[in-house]
Amino acid sequence: MTTPTSPKSNDFDRRTLIRRGGLTLGLGAFLSACAADFGGDTAPGRVGLAQSETELPEGVVNDVVFLRTMQSLEHSLVELLSALVASSHFSTAQQTYIERFVSDHVAASDVLGEHIVAAGGQPYACENEWVRNRFVNPVIAAVDSSDDSRRDARNAAHAFETMLAHSYQYLVGLAETPAHRQGLMTLGAAASRRSALLATQISSGKYGYFGPGISAGAAETTDDGFPIGYAVPATFGQVGQILLVAGDVDDEGARYSTLLQTPAENTFVYEYMSC
Amino acid sequence: MTSTRDDSPQLNEPDFRRKLLAGGSAALAMTMISGRAASAAGLSSDELDLLKFAQRIELSLHDLYDEALQVDKGSAAWTIMADSHESFAQAIAGFAGLSANERNEDVFQSYRAAMRGADRAMTAYELESIAAATHIELLGKLSDAGSAEVIASIASVESRHCVVLADVLGSGSDVAMTLTNSAQPIEA
Repeated sequence: MTTPTSPKSNDFDRRTLIRRGGLTLGLGAFLSACAADFGGDTAPGRVGLAQSETELPEGVVNDVVFLRTMQSLEHSLVELLSALVASSHFSTAQQTYIERFVSDHVAASDVLGEHIVAAGGQPYACENEWVRNRFVNPVIAAVDSSDDSRRDARNAAHAFETMLAHSYQYLVGLAETPAHRQGLMTLGAAASRRSALLATQISSGKYGYFGPGISAGAAETTDDGFPIGYAVPATFGQVGQILLVAGDVDDEGARYSTLLQTPAENTFVYEYMSC
Repeated sequence: MTSTRDDSPQLNEPDFRRKLLAGGSAALAMTMISGRAASAAGLSSDELDLLKFAQRIELSLHDLYDEALQVDKGSAAWTIMADSHESFAQAIAGFAGLSANERNEDVFQSYRAAMRGADRAMTAYELESIAAATHIELLGKLSDAGSAEVIASIASVESRHCVVLADVLGSGSDVAMTLTNSAQPIEA
């Protein structure tokens, strides 16, 4: 008995399929290349009603941006210190200094505003939003819930003043115009003095004036793990990040900590930004 | 009749070599006369003059702290201050290729007696204030960003030195002394 087989088609085998398919594709490509351009949207199709993405403006980094960034950081310090004062985290004696610092920051902002206008830019007399969200808000929250808010408020003020001093010095190396470099460092020197003053008050009695960068035996942290601020941390002015530890210990025995940094592309206040 | 290009004397290889040799000798002689090594940072002579000025001030302060050490022998604070200013001078030397071998004699002689006197801490405070003010003033004149970085890092620390010295003087709570610098810069 023979097994019946399906009838074979003589005119549509595999070889014919490949040949005809290739011919069709080639002809299609040829006709497309020769066709006239009738316009129309060539973008891929979209599904749903979501709005298309907004293109960010091109951020040019120049001296005006550096000056605007430092102006915003001066206001960040005003916001931080004012919040800590309003919550009575400083002693009466400390509050005298801190209020002086706040007025110094406002004055520095005015000076920077003059530099910005002279350079043809628009002043930015408000706080740095990025710094507010990443550093100021969490630090205020940590100090508010601290087991020793006076300790933390002093350390926070010291860390932020040090960050400001580092930032000014760092931007001197990036600024193009000598007059802007001079203006930045004039304010940077003042920030260094505020940082050194706070360090002197906080730790010089127990740990001395000179940090591990100068004095080999100088401790880096207290017995409780808090970084020690020194009036003169190293032989040369520093531009590195600053460790700040604050707040009460959590369930795992750790405290809130953050690294304050000098400005970078994500912190810069570009000329297209306004407040 | 003016000579054409083809008629003008051509610079042949021996002549070219002789001129290169002469140029090199002249450059070497200029370096020896000025007593200045060639700048590794490719700085202009104006820039080098400003940096040399800053360096000489730093060497003066180093020598003046050494004077204080003659009175307060072994003082850790004076030793650190003296070493710091020597480091500042060396940093400028390393950056600009300027030998750190010459202090500002005017500054040194003006403060030498005071640094051996009873008010030497106050004199040191004044000197640090003047040095910081002078360096910040220099930043407005230096054209090179690298030079500015070096000088800024020195001015920053000298400002901190002022606060330490104010505290040593018992004026750590005096915001006029700690937070402001009323010193006049030395003119370059």
